[in-house]
Parts: sequence; structure tokens; C-alpha cells
Amino acid sequence: MKVVSALILSLVVLSGVSCAKKAQKADTGADAKVTTLGSIEVTAQLEEIPGEVRNDPLYDYAHVMKYKMLQVHRGKVDKDVIYVGHYNPAKPRDGVADARVPQIGGNLKQFRVDDVHRMALEVPIDDYFMGGIINKYFGVVNDPIYWAVWTNRVSK
Amino acid sequence: MTKQTLWLLVLAVTLLPACGVLAAQDERVAQLAKEVGGKGWIVCASRGENGTWDLFLMRPDGSARRNITNTPDYEEGGPRFSPDGKKLLYRRFTKGTVIHHDLWGFQGCLMIAAPDGSQPVQVGGDREFPWASWSPDGKQIACLAQKEGIQVIDLETKKVVRQLPRRGIYQQLFWSPDGQWFCGVANARMMWTVVRMNAQTGELTIVHEFQSCTPDWFPDSQHIIYPSRPAGQPGNHGQGFTQLWYSDGEGKDARMIYGEDGYHIYGGALSPDGKYVLFTRCPQDGGGSERSGAPICIMRMADAPAVAGLSKDLRKVHPQAKDAPVLQLVDGWEPYWTYAEIGAQK
Repeated sequence: MKVVSALILSLVVLSGVSCAKKAQKADTGADAKVTTLGSIEVTAQLEEIPGEVRNDPLYDYAHVMKYKMLQVHRGKVDKDVIYVGHYNPAKPRDGVADARVPQIGGNLKQFRVDDVHRMALEVPIDDYFMGGIINKYFGVVNDPIYWAVWTNRVSK
Repeated sequence: MTKQTLWLLVLAVTLLPACGVLAAQDERVAQLAKEVGGKGWIVCASRGENGTWDLFLMRPDGSARRNITNTPDYEEGGPRFSPDGKKLLYRRFTKGTVIHHDLWGFQGCLMIAAPDGSQPVQVGGDREFPWASWSPDGKQIACLAQKEGIQVIDLETKKVVRQLPRRGIYQQLFWSPDGQWFCGVANARMMWTVVRMNAQTGELTIVHEFQSCTPDWFPDSQHIIYPSRPAGQPGNHGQGFTQLWYSDGEGKDARMIYGEDGYHIYGGALSPDGKYVLFTRCPQDGGGSERSGAPICIMRMADAPAVAGLSKDLRKVHPQAKDAPVLQLVDGWEPYWTYAEIGAQK
């Protein structure tokens, strides 16, 4: 009987730990920065990173990526798909700000297709970033290009 | 004949023709130096004895070189004579500033002085009047800013007299000598595209796409000089090297001026009569503004296209390129040329 009780107890503890871990992992991406910076705040799924993400220490640039809209938290976005320019996307967001673009960041470490991001945005990109832009959608899509101010990872 | 004598003979047979070529090249370079020596003045930024970037004037053969700012408490760079050669604009940075090869037009303060560097006047504050370049009459400047776009500003009143959207241009804006055009670097179909903009209508023309930057005008306002790094070069770990090119303002007839595997060619500028070309020759990408510049060189435009050094890869692409005499001057950055007589040393 003692053995059975111990087993049940262990299972309960283990499932509790598992649930706790799951609860820790689930993250809406909301934080003080993403919910206040920029004029638009969305949760969106990264659908495509066209072209190569360059990592050249001598040159800075923004890379336009395609997102599927999941939720608009602030501001107005009336498209199901948006195009977002990320500054120097080879760098983790918490280390990407520099003298040229000082006010950006987030907790996202790496851009991967299918991941979900919560982002604070501005639009159009040209009003907020003045530099080289890799935009493989140029001439293909006429939608405005958003500028990513803050990018957090979302996990379910 | 001993083995040692034989070796000496082989060495002599091998080296003598090379010495002859070098001597002939030296003679051609000396001739070029003699030809340009009296043709006005070159201004450039170089490291002064105080260790900071200062502005220097020199004759185009490198003689009569003198420090015209000599400011141990500031860095200076980006000098450009007004079209009549009577004024000089440049940017002054706080001491210790690392001058960014792409962003320098946004850095520091705009300064306007006499062409010999005397009577320097600060125009506006830090980061104001970005990428200022002269109007044909020297009474206005054109500037490039993120939200404001391209602004034409009257220098006397400091008022904006005209404004155009920048249409993707993001750096290195320069006004043509005839006032009809701007050139710059833009995000057009791709980034690092040299473009021409109609200064009245804002209409944009792509001049050269793909890894092209720092454009400047020929004196005829019809052609644009720019460094470009064509794709498909195997050298530099597949990144290739930057060569000096030019095209007409419509983007037609792109031609290489000078290239050399192992070196990045930047700082392209024409002499006021368009017969000679200035450039810098830097082993590192970027032109050297972050360090101490690179050797400033002069070549005849009539000798273009030219390929220097071994340049096995480049010679395959340009088999007809010439072996041009190139006059190498001191290390510097962003040289600029006037035929105006600036006068005796202060």
C-alpha cells in the first residue's frame, strides 16, 4: 500500500511540475515595452523570410518579412498579411539597438518561420528607418511596410 | 660558371624587365604628377599630428600640403569646395568620434569656411543640415533627412525654400553642378542603388543597382561616378572588391574606371574639367574613415578603364583594361578638387 501511495504521490508531483513548466513556457509576449512603444501592437505569425539574413558587421540594414496577422492589440491594421522590416535580424533583439537605431529591442533571439511574435510597430518604415532595406516584395506587393520597434516571442 | 653565378644571372634576367617596367611606370607617374601639379588644390581629411582628423590642402601632385584646420579638440571630414571655389563646407565632429563611412553626413555639425579653412563658421547644431551639398551658386544647400526628405535651404536665412520627398534615398545626397539633379543612394528595386532625382519634380531614375554607393557628379552634370561591387567576384571570400565606375544619368553605358583585386576603391571625384579622377584605394571595405583613411590616388580619365596589380579575377572580366599611371598621394578620406587658386599659406 505504501508503495502505491508513493507512486501516486510521485505522479501527482510530476504532473504538477509538468503543468508548472507548461505554465512558465506559455507567454503572450506582453511586457511594458511592447504594449506601449510604437503606435501599433499586434501578434502575428512569421510566414516568410525571403532571401538570406545577412550578418555583416560593416553594414546595417532592415529586412522585410511576411507575417500572418493573428491579433491586433493597439492601432489599426486591416490586412490579414503584413510586411514588417526588422533591423539587423541576425542579432538577438535585446542586443540590436545601436547609435543609428537606439529605440528598438525585444526578447526574440532568432527569427524562424512559423514562430509567433508580439510586436510594437510603426508605419511606414521610411519615416522611422533611414538605411538599406532588403525588400524582396518590392514591386510585388504595394502594401505599406511596417517598422518593428519591439519584438517579443510568443509561446503557447 | 659557378652555381652562384648562374643563380645571379637567372635573377638578373628575371628582374631586369620588371625593373624596366617599374622605371617606365615611375616615369609615367612622374609625368602625371607634373601635369596635374599646377591644377588647383585638393582638400581632404587626414589624421593630423595631433591624432585627430583635420582638413588638409595640397597641390594635386601632393606638394605644398598644409593642415588648414589643425583642431586637436575636434575631428573634421567631408570637405567640399563651393562650385566657384570661394567657400568650403565640411562637417566637424566631437573629438574621438568614429566617422562612419556611410553615416558621416548625419554626424557632427555643418561648417562653412573660406577655402583655406580660415573664418570657420558653425551652421546649426549637432546633426543638423545632414548631407549638406552646395547649390550651383553656393547660396543654398540641399540636405537629406529622414522625415523631412530633401530640403533646399537658403544659407543666409537658413529657411527651407523647397522640399521634396526623398523617395527611398537614404544617404550620400549630392546636388549636380547645373542644379537640375540630385544623386544619392536609395532603396529602389533593391538597396544600395545609385539613383538620380530630378531636383524640380522629384522623378527618380535608377542609375546603377546592386552594391553601389557614394555617388558624385561629373562636371557636365550628365554623368555620375560611383564605387560598385559587382556580383560574382570570387575574391574576398566571395564578397568581391569595390571598383570605381561611372554611368550617364539615365543609368546607361556603365563603365569601370579603375579596379584592383585586393583593394576597395572609394572616394571617387572628378577634377573640375573632368580630365582626372580622384579616388582612395583601401584594403579594407568602407574607405577607411573609421581608421586613418587610405592612399589618395589620381588617374587620367583618358586611361580608363584601368586595372592595377595582379588582379587575375578582374582582368578576366576586363581583358581590355589599361595599365594606367596612378599617382599615389598621402592617406586621406573623401578628397575633393578645385581649380580655384586658394592663395599663399597663412
